[in-house]
Amino acid sequence: MNKAISTRLTFVVAILSLLIFIILWQVIAQQGLLVKNFPGSFKTIGSLIWWVSDPFFDNGPNDLGIGTNLLISLRRVLIGYSLAVLVAIPLGVLMGMSKLAQSSLNPYVQLLKPVSPLAWLPVGLFVFRNSEITGIFVIFITSIWPTLINTAFGVASINPDYLRVSKSLGASKSITIRRVILPAIMPNILAGMRISMGTAWLVIVAAEMLLGTGIGYFIWNEWNNLSLENIFVAIIIIGFTGFILDQFFGFLQDKFDYSI
Amino acid sequence: MNKKSSKISTSNENYSHLELVNLGKIFFKEKKFIDFRSKGNRSGFEAIKDINLKIEKNTFVSIIGPSGCGKSTLLNLIAGLQAPTSGKIIIDGQAIKGPGPDRGVIFQNYALMPWLTTIQNIEFALNTVFPAKTNADVKERARKYLRMVGLEKASNKFPKELSGGMKQRVAIARALSINPNMLLMDEPFGALDALTRSYLQDELLSIWRKNKVTVVLITHSIEEALLLSDKIVLMSSGPSAIISEEISVDLERPRDREKIEQDPTYLKIKMRLEKHLLRETRAVEEVT
Repeated sequence: MNKAISTRLTFVVAILSLLIFIILWQVIAQQGLLVKNFPGSFKTIGSLIWWVSDPFFDNGPNDLGIGTNLLISLRRVLIGYSLAVLVAIPLGVLMGMSKLAQSSLNPYVQLLKPVSPLAWLPVGLFVFRNSEITGIFVIFITSIWPTLINTAFGVASINPDYLRVSKSLGASKSITIRRVILPAIMPNILAGMRISMGTAWLVIVAAEMLLGTGIGYFIWNEWNNLSLENIFVAIIIIGFTGFILDQFFGFLQDKFDYSI
Repeated sequence: MNKKSSKISTSNENYSHLELVNLGKIFFKEKKFIDFRSKGNRSGFEAIKDINLKIEKNTFVSIIGPSGCGKSTLLNLIAGLQAPTSGKIIIDGQAIKGPGPDRGVIFQNYALMPWLTTIQNIEFALNTVFPAKTNADVKERARKYLRMVGLEKASNKFPKELSGGMKQRVAIARALSINPNMLLMDEPFGALDALTRSYLQDELLSIWRKNKVTVVLITHSIEEALLLSDKIVLMSSGPSAIISEEISVDLERPRDREKIEQDPTYLKIKMRLEKHLLRETRAVEEVT
């Protein structure tokens, strides 16, 4: 099939399915087929337009614009995530290069990785006595494992030819790490960073329900207001933001794809 | 003996550049936790043993043997990429302790860094070996060696955009750019098609004629060894491979690919090599 036609067809199908979804949702809600007072799609879209048309108002912590809340969440994620990456990459390189580091650190990684990061929330609150720092701390713990594990795996499975070239030229360890190992494992690091970002974005919503402010707290607040349509607005915005973040890493991964 | 001055003095015809003395390599199995308590001698795989060889300066030597005979191990030892279990490697009168820029290594799979362009791959080698050189110097020198292998136009291409033959030419340029005394090649043309291989063999010969270096080539192709070498070293089948024979190839240079095949000396050596390789390969295949 012609490529231009097939692209247009995909677009038409997507629009059609969206329309059908919106209409079905409206009908089901209006008829009370699910539960009573379930908000319909029209009401939700109306709310969405209302929130998006003035996103940055500030009437105190319990009445913030959705854009303001989104920026608060994004700031927490970005700080915690960046700190995690700064720790995870050097530590991962160390674990990949040294058997000693690998065997002494791996037990902790394997033990802590499967724990829900929310379990650290009380620990953070106890230590920092500050909900802002605790949020960042939880995101830090969340983000560290995928990047750490992917980096260590990348180093351990690096093409030995690159290392042999470096060694045969008499390159120092520092040159080998900076100019051979790090560029060689860039695809692994980015894959890890992508997973880390995805998980961080999942966790921040849950964490903020307990912390106050942020898009997660917005959801909790609207639940207290029994305003389900506003929760749907938040879900749409969270999903869209997560999608954009993921696409950004997808773009970076394409840039650093060395394969043929 | 002075290491530096030897680079200039080539007058002594019998000057031995590289000397292998009782060289042996055993690969030991990695110690598992359970082995810590067990005493006694560790068992291992002996790849090569008692290798004694002298290679004269600026000669072209091929090492040939059945597959799995430890040819690559031998080359890795000379390159300093692995340490021998026993024996010594002497270059210009001094025992080597590890890798060094006096030896340029060329690998079968080209080993170009895929994140660097052609010229950056050469610049990486130059920057590593000559950290004091200015960027302009490095660039100029890298360009010169790319020109030498006829790839100046591909200088800003990435390895994935090049054919196998082009990649290996870049690898040759990279190995020579650091001005080594010795070129160590591990089946460099093994992964190429027959036509490209012939082309690169001719290219290598003309480069070797211009840049006087000692070449040690690992190959499993009898024709390649005969076309290129001054001396062919035959290895026995592994494990515990030894050098079973050294054959001088007294054929006049430059050698013509077509004419050489009519030469009685060529045919005599070829027959001898074939017989040897067949016998050793049979030894490998019939053991299992």
